[in-house]
Amino acid sequence: MSDWGMQKAALGERLAAGRRHAKGKTVPLPNLPAFLKAVIRSGDRVCLEGDNQKQADILASALANLDPAEVHDLHMVQSGVVLPAHLDIFEKGIARRLDFSYSGPQAARIAKMLFGRKIELGAVHTYLELFARYFIDLTPNVALIAAVSADKDGNLYTGPNTEDTPTVVEATSYKNGLVVAQVTEIVDKVPRVDIPGDLVHFVVEAGRPFYVEPLFTRDPAAITETQILTAMLAIKGIYAPYGVRRLNHGIGFNTAAIELLLPTYGEKLGLKGNICTHFALNPHPTLIPAIENGWVDQIHCFGSEVGMEDYVAARSDIFFTGPDGSLRSNRAFCQTAGLYACDMFIGSTLQIDLEGHSSTVTTSRIAGFGGAPNMGSDPRGRRHPSEPWLKAGAEAAPDAPAALRRGRKLVVQIGETFGDRNAPLFVERLDALELARALNLDLAPVMVYSDDVTHIVTEEGIANLLMCRTKDEREQAIRGVAGYTDIGRARDPKLVEQLRQRGVIRRPEDLGIDPLDADRRLLAARSIKDLMLASGGLYRPPSRFRNW
Amino acid sequence: MTTVTADTGSLSWYEASARQRIDALVDAGSFQEFIGPELRETSPHLSIFDLPEQFDDGIVVGRSRLQGSPVLVAAQEGRFMGGAFGEVHGAKLTGLLRAACALHQDVLILFDTGGVRLQEANAGELAIAEIMRAVVEARRAGINVIGLIGGRAGCYGGGSLIAGTCSRLIVSEQGRISVSGPEVIETNRGIEEFDSRDRALVWRTMGGKHRYLIGGADLFVDDEALAFRQAAIDALRGKRGYDKAVLEAEQKRLERRLQRFGEAKDAVEIWQALGLDAPTEIPALPTDAFLRAAGKRENADDAR
Repeated sequence: MSDWGMQKAALGERLAAGRRHAKGKTVPLPNLPAFLKAVIRSGDRVCLEGDNQKQADILASALANLDPAEVHDLHMVQSGVVLPAHLDIFEKGIARRLDFSYSGPQAARIAKMLFGRKIELGAVHTYLELFARYFIDLTPNVALIAAVSADKDGNLYTGPNTEDTPTVVEATSYKNGLVVAQVTEIVDKVPRVDIPGDLVHFVVEAGRPFYVEPLFTRDPAAITETQILTAMLAIKGIYAPYGVRRLNHGIGFNTAAIELLLPTYGEKLGLKGNICTHFALNPHPTLIPAIENGWVDQIHCFGSEVGMEDYVAARSDIFFTGPDGSLRSNRAFCQTAGLYACDMFIGSTLQIDLEGHSSTVTTSRIAGFGGAPNMGSDPRGRRHPSEPWLKAGAEAAPDAPAALRRGRKLVVQIGETFGDRNAPLFVERLDALELARALNLDLAPVMVYSDDVTHIVTEEGIANLLMCRTKDEREQAIRGVAGYTDIGRARDPKLVEQLRQRGVIRRPEDLGIDPLDADRRLLAARSIKDLMLASGGLYRPPSRFRNW
Repeated sequence: MTTVTADTGSLSWYEASARQRIDALVDAGSFQEFIGPELRETSPHLSIFDLPEQFDDGIVVGRSRLQGSPVLVAAQEGRFMGGAFGEVHGAKLTGLLRAACALHQDVLILFDTGGVRLQEANAGELAIAEIMRAVVEARRAGINVIGLIGGRAGCYGGGSLIAGTCSRLIVSEQGRISVSGPEVIETNRGIEEFDSRDRALVWRTMGGKHRYLIGGADLFVDDEALAFRQAAIDALRGKRGYDKAVLEAEQKRLERRLQRFGEAKDAVEIWQALGLDAPTEIPALPTDAFLRAAGKRENADDAR
């Protein structure tokens, strides 16, 4: 006779053990170490909420302070490995196995620990992939999450940075897992219920806000004129002809430049209303001038951005907000929106090879993927038509019958031929391959695969890879916009000229763009202060971005 | 709705190059360069370190007219080696100041510098000393030497020492004046003493508003080339002496300042001690409101 209630019984034991350190659902902060020891078992699969932006930092430190003699062999499943404590857990031998998505700030240390065999790596995922696995084969036994406030019943208010929380709680709580939340404060009534209390088992009052990283603030003062030129090329050479209205932007300076050129250069080209009306995007401060000038209809957000809270609340016509007025973000939904409902992804990268594979990996750093591979990939399950999607599909397969032809998502890589510290953007061989060899990985960490990328934009021009018919044409199209890098100098000038005649490569002059017009005076805001002023004082940049 | 975008017609002093600043500052078409880039008078040191050179060595010097009156001008290019002083760079400014004595013409120095180039430190430090001496000699001869500060590199190190000898300083909010830069302080004294990444802290400690409030600068202007031009015209009005009495008065002023504010831990405490209304709001104020609020500032007039 099988017992079909073993998981419920195990949860019951954890709840009983936890209650000995709690008052109702509330765990007093001083009891946290004893509480965690009581509810976490060696070998548990634990989701320690480390999102792209917000971090359950109090719970992370408490977990890292457990005694590895008592709790060990944890399997951590979390989208962001961001805080030092996230890796201390492995250093101390409390956890052994890791499945994650993004590790920006810890990229160097995580690489070192992987080389040193301190971490047994499951896989590096995209956000959607990891979320999907939460529901199939990586369901957490325990979730340690972060919210702004809770009431005594455990109803949670996550504030603008909801991010991954609903997904994590859904997967854990409905599959007999234990959910523990750290909150800034416990209140009588939460401003809105983001997570219903019956899914939340315990709450810890941290007494201070969770840590959150301003990841999406790009200072307009740091945008170069070369980046402005690439932005002009993208707007005139891609956004305008395809009529791209629904899109996602990366977080680099090139796309920040595009955002800041919309109300100036875009206006001059008469593109308002025809491009950039709907975004899957975090609330980028550099989008403020375009929003204020009436360019944007709607934005759905993965997370929030530090300092943008009041601005977003005051622009509920544009953003998704709750009845309390503040932003409601949701990474899983927004990633899905970016994958299926956007016609374009455009972002910067560190390395592009001759086939068009691109990667942000360097040999000593593993930053993970985050959401870019989902944004920057062609969703094969898409079925609804749109003008840019159909046009791109037609360019890729002009002879196929229209009614049976897939459209194509525009996946654009944008950058300068020489990037940070004069590192060439174009390489023979991605560093990601070296890393995969050294770590014995089955897959090289490629951000955007060559069969997904449709355009490459540099200050030398635009390469339209949709229109390349052979491997050789593709290689020469890439070399053709690679400028003075070794890759660019090894081009076949005759073939490149032919590609240019066919419009596969388009130089600035082919698009009627004079590189000398790429002037910082074209930017709708040239400083963080300009952004603050454009927002009518609603945007409150963090201290480290203020030059006043 | 164009008000929500930056004014693309005006020239931001902070953003402009040295040559753009000169063009916008002086009477149109009046500038004649001395030792221009065509002479390729480059640094003799940088090639040893395999570093790129610039044909004007990062400073533009020459003669021009401001509202019709002759004036000598030097402008540092903050985008070349952070506007830092090297041997040739310094010699061009020293020469200009000596020419000022010979021609008896006023001088405008458009600072944009991180200090002395590490690669030619000895020559650079000597240049700083020579320039300060030349400024003092020019001022003794009754010549005005005006410093304009609002560039990306600020006015640091030896540049700030030279600024301290000028007859008048014009500064914008973006301008920073300090001997040691934020990173240098943090490196030497620790992040607890000064967090160089806290830009709001950097600006309220070294920025134009604070310098103006404690008497470290004489005129405060918007980040606009035309505002700098008008301030330069104003600053050149009238001649000021430079004798023992002036220097003694300056010494007294600095002693009094130290006495009043020496214990303050943060610029906001100084603004509070000055009796400004709402001192924490100072960084956010636009220029007009700031100048109204700054009525109780420390004066800067005794020595300049």
